[in-house]
Amino acid sequence: MKTARVIFEEDSHKWIALVRDPNRPDYLIDTNEYLVIDNNDAILLDPGGNEIFPAVFSALSTEFDPRKIRQIFASHQDPDIISSLSLWLEFNPELKCHISWLWAGFVPHFGGNKETFVAIPDGGADIAVGNQRLQAIPAHYLHSSGNFHLYDPKAKILFSGDVGAALLPPGEDGLFVEDFDRHIRHAEGFHRRWMGSEKAKNDWCSRVAQLDIEMMCPQHGAIYRGEQVRRFIDWFARLEVGVIRG
Amino acid sequence: MAAVTQDSGVELRRIVRTNEEIKSVVATASRINLMAMNAIFLAKRAGQTALGFGVLSNELRRFAMDLQKQMALLREMTYGSVATVTALVKQARVNRVLERTRKESGGSGLTLIDEFMRTRHGASSVRHREQIAALNRRLNQMIADTAQLVELGSVLARSAKIEAAYGGPFAAALMQVSSDFERTIGTIQRSLENLTKQQDV
Ligand SMILES: [Fe+2]
Ligand SMILES: [Fe+2]
Repeated sequence: MKTARVIFEEDSHKWIALVRDPNRPDYLIDTNEYLVIDNNDAILLDPGGNEIFPAVFSALSTEFDPRKIRQIFASHQDPDIISSLSLWLEFNPELKCHISWLWAGFVPHFGGNKETFVAIPDGGADIAVGNQRLQAIPAHYLHSSGNFHLYDPKAKILFSGDVGAALLPPGEDGLFVEDFDRHIRHAEGFHRRWMGSEKAKNDWCSRVAQLDIEMMCPQHGAIYRGEQVRRFIDWFARLEVGVIRG
Repeated sequence: MAAVTQDSGVELRRIVRTNEEIKSVVATASRINLMAMNAIFLAKRAGQTALGFGVLSNELRRFAMDLQKQMALLREMTYGSVATVTALVKQARVNRVLERTRKESGGSGLTLIDEFMRTRHGASSVRHREQIAALNRRLNQMIADTAQLVELGSVLARSAKIEAAYGGPFAAALMQVSSDFERTIGTIQRSLENLTKQQDV
């Protein structure tokens, strides 16, 4: 199963990262799932694919009662993000899934009904969890054309979906980025190929540069902390994206 | 739990087999209508020399129309059973993932998933057994109805063959038509027998 790691805790506000399953078959891309808890209410960020549901569920339940998860945030429509939706709904048919309006008619093919989905408008929206409000930050075309990140002003954490993702080789797959220059080599190819728009990239860089971020948590790879967040934004701003080779 | 998953697999394959057999019955039955039209046409040409055959050809035409209606019902039924089968496949898949989740879980997670699987399994397996039973009942009834109807067609075909002999210069042609009829109905009867056998297994 995966490991549940508490990456932030203050009062009754908590972030749990569900990471690194040693039994994951190598034909599935590795993913990170995050659970944000506030006052016994919780939202699950990018719950992952069908195949890894057992690993996520079992790790999660070591830290939190999965029946109390009231909401799901899906950064976009990909199978590694949200194809497990129907399984989560088995446990709690009342679950709400926040996703870009662009995908609100597509993702129900994975499960759920009219009541399940809360469409996020292009400009973003606030999502209440316990006593906190999390902010869905527009990140369109990075890589999905209807794409959001989630910012938590209390924890100062940005969940950045596929942005910041790195495909880490065994032995270099720690939860946190240690050596930025070493790490970023494993992110470069991914960002060049998956991120499609220079304009969208620059928009995102200037948008998140204004946020007070202490941790940036991607859906694949390792978490950026402190100064590494700024370094990532600078690196990304300079990187040429939307290229097949080079 | 593994047994339930396997059962639904067996059940699914059986339903798929049944549907394929029904499809072949429907395809054969669609030829009957054309044959009946042909028989009426021939009877008209034969006129006074084949009055008996003329009466029978009208009966055959009515039979062909009834058979078509019955086939429409069977097709609808097939469609309905595919929907049930799909739901079962989905349930079986969920069951498999839950079983894997159970194996990976410990502590409170394990308790939770055990409890969930018990209630879910109890409720869904009863529902599934009921659904499958209802499906089978309806199917058996429909196969029996169809067999009865086809038996009537078979009697008509035999009578037509007898009448054909009195068709004078048209006797050979009439014989040909009624033999085709009899053969086709025979094919349908064999398919229906297969279906009945499959239901009994
Ligand atoms: Fe993606
Ligand atoms: Fe992804």
